[in-house]
Amino acid sequence: MKTKGSNSFSVRRISAAAAIAFALVATLLPSATAAGEVFGKACKEEGANTGTSSTSLVCKEDSKGKLTWQRVRLGSAYGAPVAALRAPKGSIEFHHWRGAEDGKVFDQIIALFEERNPGAKIKQVTMPSGDYTNLGYSKIRTNNKAAVFATFRGSQFVQFAKGDMMTNLSAERFTRQNVIATGLTAGQYEGKQLGIPLHYLFNNPVYNTEIFAKEKWDLPKNFTGLLAWCKTAKSAGYTPLAWSGGFRPNAGQMLNSMLMNSAPDYATLQKRIEDIDTGKADLQSAWFKDMAGRYKKMADAGCFPENATGVTDAAAINLFATGKSPVIPTGSFQMGAIKTVNPAMTGKMQLFSLITTDEKPQYVGIQNNTFILSVNKNASATDQKIARAFISFMVTGEIASIYANGTSQHVNVLNATYTNQDLVNTSVWQSKKTLLAPRFLWLNQGVRDLMEDALIAIVGGKPIDATLEDYSKQIKQKLG
Amino acid sequence: MSLPALSLYVFLFLVPVLNNLRYALTKWDGIEEPVFVGLDNFKKLATDDDLATKVLGNNIEFMFWVVIFQTGFALLFATYLVRNTRTTLFFRTLFFFPTILSSVSVAMIWLFLYDPNYGAINTTFKKIGLDSFALNWLGSEDSALYAIIFVQVWFHTGQMMVIYIAGLQQIPAELYEAANVDGASRWQQFKSVTWPMALPTSAVVVAYTTIQSFRAFDLVYATTQGGPNNETSILTTMIFQTAFNEFRFGYAASQSIIMVIMIFLITGLQKRILRTRY
Repeated sequence: MKTKGSNSFSVRRISAAAAIAFALVATLLPSATAAGEVFGKACKEEGANTGTSSTSLVCKEDSKGKLTWQRVRLGSAYGAPVAALRAPKGSIEFHHWRGAEDGKVFDQIIALFEERNPGAKIKQVTMPSGDYTNLGYSKIRTNNKAAVFATFRGSQFVQFAKGDMMTNLSAERFTRQNVIATGLTAGQYEGKQLGIPLHYLFNNPVYNTEIFAKEKWDLPKNFTGLLAWCKTAKSAGYTPLAWSGGFRPNAGQMLNSMLMNSAPDYATLQKRIEDIDTGKADLQSAWFKDMAGRYKKMADAGCFPENATGVTDAAAINLFATGKSPVIPTGSFQMGAIKTVNPAMTGKMQLFSLITTDEKPQYVGIQNNTFILSVNKNASATDQKIARAFISFMVTGEIASIYANGTSQHVNVLNATYTNQDLVNTSVWQSKKTLLAPRFLWLNQGVRDLMEDALIAIVGGKPIDATLEDYSKQIKQKLG
Repeated sequence: MSLPALSLYVFLFLVPVLNNLRYALTKWDGIEEPVFVGLDNFKKLATDDDLATKVLGNNIEFMFWVVIFQTGFALLFATYLVRNTRTTLFFRTLFFFPTILSSVSVAMIWLFLYDPNYGAINTTFKKIGLDSFALNWLGSEDSALYAIIFVQVWFHTGQMMVIYIAGLQQIPAELYEAANVDGASRWQQFKSVTWPMALPTSAVVVAYTTIQSFRAFDLVYATTQGGPNNETSILTTMIFQTAFNEFRFGYAASQSIIMVIMIFLITGLQKRILRTRY
C-alpha cells in the first residue's frame, strides 16, 4: 500500500521532471523579445532581464568575460509553477488602491478570469492610496463580499493581520511554487503566509535618461556629487528633483533613500526606527538629526522645486513627464502614471541611485514587495474559493506578464515575461544591492506622518532644531 | 404608527450616539476589546494635547471667517438679486453653480489654481507684476488656512444666497413703499426694513454655516489633508486621523463629543446674539 508521503514524493518527482524538460526545451528555442534582446547577443547593463520565466534572458558575463543575453535561472525551491485554481460560481469584490493606475489592466485580467471560470464574477472596488490607507480596513472589515483585497507592506498589513482578517495561504501550491521565494516575506505574519506580495518594485527615484544624455551629466555617486549635480541641473534651468512636498504619501518615498545608508547595518536601522515608532527615542536623536540635516543641505543646494511644500503629486508628475525635471524621487511604481501623462517617456526612464553618504554606500537602491493580495477570512467559503482562485490566477506567468507589462510594474512571480521596455531597462536593479524599503518599518502611521511632516517642514525652510523639537513633542503626546 | 420611525431613529441615531459615548470612556484600537479608562481621554484632551488645542483654534478661526464672509456675501448678492428678472436669474444660477459640484471636484480645481509654480492665480499675479502676491498658497503655514476659507466661501455662498432670497421675498412690498414715501435711502431701507425682517433667515444661515464649517472635512482633506504642520486641520480631520490613521477609536470618540459640545455652544451663542427665534 502506498503511503501519502510516497504518493506526494512521486508527484513532486513528476513535477520536477516536467519542469526540467520544459526548461530544456525552452532553452533550445531561439528567443527574442519585442524590445530586441536576443539570446547570445551582446548587452550593456549587467543584470538587465526580460522576466522570470525559463525563456527569459538576463544580461551577464559569459565565459569570455563579455556581457551577453543569457537564460534566467530563477526558481522556486518547491517545483515548477502550477496552473490557477478553478473558481466556483459566485461573485466577489476585489478591493485595492491602484484604480487609476491599474484599473484597466485589472478589467482585462478579470475578464479573462471570468471567461475561464464561467459563473465567477469579480468587481473591482478602488480608492486612492491615501484613503485606502485610512479607510481600507474598516471598509473591508464590514464587507464580507470583499473576498480578495490588497494591503500595503508595513502598518496596514500588520493591522489586517492583527484583526485576523486574512486566511493562511502557506500551504497553497501557488504560494510555494509560483512566487519568488524571497519576495514572500512581506506577506508573512507570525509564521503564516497571510498574503502574496504581487509587486517587486523599486522605491528609488526615477530619472530621465534622455535629459542626462543631452546634458552629458554623470549620475552622482555620493552625497557631495548629488549636491553638486543639483546645483548644475538648477543652473541649467531644471528643477532637479520633482519632489511633491504638498503630498506626504509620495514626498515620503524619498525617505527610503535617505535612510538606506544612514546606519551601519540593517538591524541598527530597524532598531532606531522602532525606537522612534514606540517613543523610546525622538526625532532629536543624533541619527535622525543628521538625516534631517541632509534634507536641509539638499534644499540649500536647490535640489527641490520652488515652493516645494505646495507641490502636489500631479504637479510633480507633470514636472517630470514634461522634461522640466530630470528626476522624480518616488519609485518605479510611478512609471505608468508618467507614461499616461506623456507616452513619449516610454523607454526613457531608469532608476536613480540617491546616495546620501560620502563613504562607500552599503546599498544603492530600495526594493519593496507590496500590493499584498489576501483572502478575506470573513468571506463565505465559496467567496474565499473564488478569491483564492483569483490570486492563483494572478500569480501564473501568463497573467502576471499581462499585469506587469500593462502597468509597468515588476512582479514577484515566476514565469513572467517583460516586453515593456521600461521594465526590461530597470530590471537590472533586481541584481543590485538594494534594501527592503525601511519607510515601512514605521508601524504607527500617526508617528510616521508627523516624522515625515517634520522633514517636509525642514525642506520648506523651518529651522532643524526647533522643528524636530516641536514634532518630537507632538509624537510624544500622540503616544502618551 | 410611529413605531417604525422610532425604531429607525433608535437604531440609526440613538444607538450609535450612545455607543460613541461609551467608546469615549475607553482605550480602543478598533480591533481588540475596548479597555475602560474613565475620563482619561477627556483629561488628556484638556491637559496634554497641544494638537487638539491648535485644531480647535483653527476650527474656530475657520468658522469665524466663513460665517462673516459667507453670510455677508450671500446677503449682499441676495439683496441685489431678489427680484425675478432674466438677469437676476442668470446671476443666481452663476453664483449657485459651485454648490452643485462635489467637494472633491472643487478641491481638485482649486489645487490646480493654487499651484505655487504653475497655478493660474500665481501666474496671473506674476504676469501683471504683482510677484509679491504669488504665495505658496496651500504649502505655507501662513496662508493655507485662509486659502481654504476662501474656497469654502466660494463653494457655499450661492447656497446661502438662495436661502436669503427666499427670506427676502417674504418681506411685504408695502414696507419698502412706506419707506420710499418717507424718503428713506437704500441704505436706510436696508438697515430699517431688510435687515430686521431678514433676521430669522440670518439665524438659519448663520447656524447652518457654522455647522458646515465644523463639518468641512472633505474640502480640507482633499486639499491639504490638514497640513502643513496641521495648520489646516479642523476637528473633523483630526477625529478622522485619530480614528482611522492611528486607530485610537476611544480617543477619537471623546474628540467628537467635544466637537458636538462646541457646535451647541457656538450656535446657542449666535442665537442669543441675533436675538431671534427660529
